[in-house]
Amino acid sequence: MLGSNGAGKSTLMKVLVGLEKPDEGTVHLLGAPIDRFEPGLVRARGIAMVQQHFTLVPTLTAGENLILARPTNRRLPDRASSRARLDALVERYGLEVRNDVPAGELSVGEQQRLELLRALDANAQVLLLDEPTAVLTDAEAARLLFVCRSLADEGRAVAFITHRLAEVFDGCDRVSVLREGRGVIVDQPVADHNRADLASAMIGAATTGTFSKRSAREHHLGPSRLSMTTVSSATLRAIDLDVRGGEIVGIAGVDGNGQGDLEALLSGRQTPTGGTVHIDGQVMAVAEPRARLGFGVAYVPSDRYRWGLVRPMELADNLELGRVPLRRQRRRDRHTGARQALIDWNVRSAGPGAKASSLSGGNAQKLVLARELGGDPGVVLACYPTRGLDPDAADVVAQRLVERAVAGAAVLWIGAELDELFAVSDRLFVMSDGKLIGPFVAPFDRLAIGLAMAGDTTDLVVDLTHEPSIERAARP
Amino acid sequence: MTSLDASPMTLDDDPLEESAPNGRPRNRHQRGQRAVTVSPSVIVPVASLVCALLVGAIVIVVDGANPFEVYRSVAAGVFIDNRGLSDTATAATPLILIALGYALAYRARVFTIGAEGQYLLGAIVSVGVVTADGVRDLPGPVLIALGVMAGALAGAAWGGITGVLWTRFGASIVISSLMLVYVAQALLQWSIRVPIRDPESFVPASRQLGNAQLGELPFLGTHLGFVVAVACGPVLAWLFARHRVGYRISVLGHNPSALDANEVASRRVVMMVVLAAGGLAGLAGFFEMSGVNGRLGSSASLGLGFTGIIVALLGRLHPIGVVAAGLAIAGLDIGFEVSARSHDLPSSLVGVIQALVVVFVVAGDALAARFIGEGE
Repeated sequence: MLGSNGAGKSTLMKVLVGLEKPDEGTVHLLGAPIDRFEPGLVRARGIAMVQQHFTLVPTLTAGENLILARPTNRRLPDRASSRARLDALVERYGLEVRNDVPAGELSVGEQQRLELLRALDANAQVLLLDEPTAVLTDAEAARLLFVCRSLADEGRAVAFITHRLAEVFDGCDRVSVLREGRGVIVDQPVADHNRADLASAMIGAATTGTFSKRSAREHHLGPSRLSMTTVSSATLRAIDLDVRGGEIVGIAGVDGNGQGDLEALLSGRQTPTGGTVHIDGQVMAVAEPRARLGFGVAYVPSDRYRWGLVRPMELADNLELGRVPLRRQRRRDRHTGARQALIDWNVRSAGPGAKASSLSGGNAQKLVLARELGGDPGVVLACYPTRGLDPDAADVVAQRLVERAVAGAAVLWIGAELDELFAVSDRLFVMSDGKLIGPFVAPFDRLAIGLAMAGDTTDLVVDLTHEPSIERAARP
Repeated sequence: MTSLDASPMTLDDDPLEESAPNGRPRNRHQRGQRAVTVSPSVIVPVASLVCALLVGAIVIVVDGANPFEVYRSVAAGVFIDNRGLSDTATAATPLILIALGYALAYRARVFTIGAEGQYLLGAIVSVGVVTADGVRDLPGPVLIALGVMAGALAGAAWGGITGVLWTRFGASIVISSLMLVYVAQALLQWSIRVPIRDPESFVPASRQLGNAQLGELPFLGTHLGFVVAVACGPVLAWLFARHRVGYRISVLGHNPSALDANEVASRRVVMMVVLAAGGLAGLAGFFEMSGVNGRLGSSASLGLGFTGIIVALLGRLHPIGVVAAGLAIAGLDIGFEVSARSHDLPSSLVGVIQALVVVFVVAGDALAARFIGEGE
């Protein structure tokens, strides 16, 4: 099952294992309908899921985890019987898992195999795997596909979610593609499809109109303001990127391909394991969040309620986050200043004394923008800035960010919606597996970008040694 | 912040908020009615005190005494007796200092409960310094200044251990601060037997503080510590309202991630908070020794560090409120001391009433949150 973020894959799986209830429709299992969607009942009928995030008890060994899931009696499992249980399964399915260490110390691949063994231990006939390869190395992923194939040969049904096209062609008989909660391709033989049509089914056709007006702006490209040289971290692999003044660079990609680390690094929350970040020619300070202000870096966080706002505090207090002076003004005077900012940025609220928790999503984001963009930043790091906003609010937010670029700021926009990124970006990169693929420039090639997002770069016709945007930028 | 979240105490309303926020009406049901503007932050503690006294009255009846008589003599013990008020002030001094530290920490949702240990360390080290050979003959003001510094630093260091254990190893602040109380109590017993023992004394105890003793101030009838403790109230109130430190403490209390992402590493603020709270408790330790006890004895650990939690909660974590609550709790202690003796009641009665106050404050907070709808 293919689909990009938010397509509804995980929700569908959760319905199947009884974690969520469907509003309507029926599910048939081995010819009989499922009438009650409850985890225990569904499991008893032979459906098992391997979650994206493992559900093992980290302090217990592999065998003890198995016994915990399906106890044989009321006593504590002894070492010998838990080992025997594991060994029998390991031998039967050829999935190797060590039993002499706590599950928390097993490798990710082993933990996943253990999850799989636990499902098989319950004699599951239908196995659901939610993005099983996302956490695995290539070799482990190939091995997993092999195991899935042999389980299918035994007569079991195996369904797995992925956003990697290659795995569909390597390991699957049939394919479904979900987009925005609908089945775009439903249960068709893989042989009937090629990479291109699956990729375009995943990302969909261009929506018209709404975003186009944002791109109509003048381009005055200045010198490089944000520059990353071979920046690496746990999930980033030697990123090189230059963003120039007046430019908006978009970063597309499926979530979890390194965007989180990129955000953490550029916001100064995390130190890179290698490489350097320069802001206007100076090496950026790390682990010193207030230094961002001095460097002129504005940060619009991906999770505004976690990183950007303090919900139980007043709007006026929230506007001081990251820039509060040693001696603060009187509350009344703080409110006076804040009231003006709220008007300027059109934050609809009950006034500067209201709590941030009383704001709607769009107004909360405008509050973040009021604070971060208020001081003419030179670099803007915008992470999913329109996420969760209604179209009008999203439009306003995007407009504000474009204004900053027009005013000469370098804007790095990490986003999920392709159409939006196409509308605002001068250059676009796809983040895949910790690397940047691109740049792509307008007119954007949906197919090539879709393939890059699905981890497939073989068809890519973009010349990676050449930077087309610079020439393009020269024209007014 | 696992150890912080693990705490049973929750402070769902904003302790910073003294008045209703501008704009949004606090209570939808109130809009049409007469505006009742007394904030729950005053009602709850006062009502809790009243409820605790009512339930306490039942206990008194069970004990065979007349509650009206008992409460009358409690009030008389505080307000009419010759030294009632000044004794209350003296008894309130360590409570206020300790509770101010707790207020600081709890606003940041750093749930330390170990002020007792920090208080003892402050007492041990400051007494050790001012009674040391060659030091104890210095003039009084110098000794007092030395004692104040030594007490505050020792208390801060003891609190700092908790902070390091949390920031470096993730050890629960609740647990480690409590465990360090027992270490401090053992240190007390050892120190008055070995390093700072008065060689002339028959029972294990330190030397008399001599020049370092605080005299009674004119008019007040209490010692310098009381003035310092009360003065700390407005200073902390100013800090919370008008200083970056207070701002960071609130942000830490409400959203440590936002603090990390925008202001400063939250563990640094946690560290500062435990140091400051420990310092205040250590200061209380010195003042109690030099203003009341006069020497460090084996019974110096009276549980003031735990009563301080009651005071901080009753004072709604607001510095001024804490000063008032400290006086109220100390008043109960002083009043009951006299009253219980004359009515042949157990001395533990006051502890029952103080504990009931906490129960009612916590329950009252929950009720207020439900009816006013301020809970998130």
